[in-house]
Amino acid sequence: MVFLILLVLTFSGCSKEKTSEVISETIYALGTVIDIQIYDENVDKAKKAIQESIERITEIENKMSVNKDISEVILINENAGENPVQVSEDTFYVLKKAKEYSKLSNGAFDLTIEPIVKLWGIGTEDARVPEKEEITSLLNLVNYEDLKLDESTNKVQLNKKGQAIDLGGIAKGYAGDEIKRILLENDINTAFINLGGNVVTLGTKVDGSSWRIGIQNPLGDRGNYIAVLEVVDKTVVTSGNYERYFIEDGKRYHHIINPKTGYPAEEGIISSTIVTDKSIDADALSTSVYVLGLEKGMELIESLDNVDAVIITEDKNVYITEGLKETFNIVDDSFILAN
Amino acid sequence: MTNTKRIVLLSLLVGIALIIYVIEAQIPVIFPGVKLGLANIISLFTLLVLGWKESLIVVILRTVMGSIFGGSISAFLFSIVGGLLSNIVMILLYKFFRNYLGLSSISICGAIFHNIGQLLVAAFIIQDLRIYIYLPILLISGVITGYFVGISVGFIYKYFKNFPWIKDIQKGQN
Amino acid sequence: MKKGDKIVGLIIIILITISLLFLGIYRFINKGDKLIAKIIQDQEVIKVIDLDKVEEPKEWTIENEEGHHNTIRVEKGRIRFIEADCPDLVCVNSGWLSKPGDIAVCIPNKILIRIEGKDDEVDQISY
Repeated sequence: MVFLILLVLTFSGCSKEKTSEVISETIYALGTVIDIQIYDENVDKAKKAIQESIERITEIENKMSVNKDISEVILINENAGENPVQVSEDTFYVLKKAKEYSKLSNGAFDLTIEPIVKLWGIGTEDARVPEKEEITSLLNLVNYEDLKLDESTNKVQLNKKGQAIDLGGIAKGYAGDEIKRILLENDINTAFINLGGNVVTLGTKVDGSSWRIGIQNPLGDRGNYIAVLEVVDKTVVTSGNYERYFIEDGKRYHHIINPKTGYPAEEGIISSTIVTDKSIDADALSTSVYVLGLEKGMELIESLDNVDAVIITEDKNVYITEGLKETFNIVDDSFILAN
Repeated sequence: MTNTKRIVLLSLLVGIALIIYVIEAQIPVIFPGVKLGLANIISLFTLLVLGWKESLIVVILRTVMGSIFGGSISAFLFSIVGGLLSNIVMILLYKFFRNYLGLSSISICGAIFHNIGQLLVAAFIIQDLRIYIYLPILLISGVITGYFVGISVGFIYKYFKNFPWIKDIQKGQN
Repeated sequence: MKKGDKIVGLIIIILITISLLFLGIYRFINKGDKLIAKIIQDQEVIKVIDLDKVEEPKEWTIENEEGHHNTIRVEKGRIRFIEADCPDLVCVNSGWLSKPGDIAVCIPNKILIRIEGKDDEVDQISY
């Protein structure tokens, strides 16, 4: 009879599912496509949360974009080397975080990289390989220490003329965290948000299982994933050399610039993914790890609590941190788990 | 005298069981887990002639030695669990129900429990209960091989029980 | 036939019927239009293959810590063990797996192939 009991156990794994509706919305903001998908019985509640999220994203964009006519960040850049600029709590918080990570990564991530990024113009029509002199002359403008943050007054200033910041990536991370906060405040517990590749998840899936997040194949087409990561209530952010790049004389130049050299980072990594609680942290860290390279990048991640990483190197080796051992599975066998 | 005879016969039976066991391992299985279970002929025969303790000894020695001659730890675990479970079931049935049951029924039950034991070990090793989808085929094959074993033992026993020295042993036993 | 034989026969027939019933339920539960093969080694999923999306037949060998190996072959819509160094070759004799719910195991090397019929795609891709 024992085996009969076992048999029954085998088949009793299915549970009743709640009748959740799927409410989704796609927004174009912060230079990317933002996808919000909510699973909830209450459609009105979900729609209200989405509306609030859109308003919040617009607010963030208006404060932090550099592609508008005016924004707080543009004001900071225009006043570089001249006047301090009064900014909102939002912008101040993001700047503070960005500076923190610049310091933590020892300048591998640097929020004052903008002059060099602009010079390369990767992702725009004017992308080109600059002359070496152009790069070296702008390189001394890249220094996160030159951003002065006054906590008491929320005033911000860049020390030298010509210095500039671009909160692009990290603002996207911040927006993800803010949407998550708004959804939670609206009592929504099952949802995911995809901000141009930054994935933010709320809780588990409707059936109680983990979210399955694919890691983009850095050498394949968009949508082609090499591994699956199971997460609950976490954010997953990937930086890769495939996102924006141009090719000149057969050489590929991607958009992740090493602040130390002024050239696209070539430390052997082709994709770095961070899994953690806050998207803003994940965004800064994925860039940091990409620039630092495998060894130093891993060192950085392992020094932090509650942060995990997946690093893919040029030779198609995949390295993961201890915390992902149980939940990470490679599905494309041309990539090899190396640790 | 009978004691020596018993020991000689027991050794002989262990030897034969071992040979059958090793030969059987060479026969490719038609379906996963399905084995002819020919070695069971000897354990059942031992049960009839010598008794339950000797029958257990045959099963244990056969599996241990058989595994030494070529087999992995998991193969050993398989054989020992399957073999013992099957043997114990046959011993109990023979001891308490021999007047109501034919040899074939006893041996069919033995074969079925042999397969169930193996399935348990497999499920334990692989940690996946889905392996139970093999159960129906293992039950059916248990019936067929068990029936075959039962008939064989019937023949062999009918032939050997009139041997004077087997008679001696059985008398000594009773 | 003795009296007890009939009872034993009846019990066995009931057992077989029940087990077949469970097999039917198992198949039903695993129904689906997908053919996702999962290769599991030591209780860990080491590979997931969408069998419908296999273009070229492919073979590869999985080695375990003790140096034992199993060779697996995939073709469009099916998968199987084709070679192994285990003594019983149960895995190889299991033949092709092509339906949701199908299982093949190599117990000595602790490798299991399982086909699932449910959608096992990712929810999102991080890029």
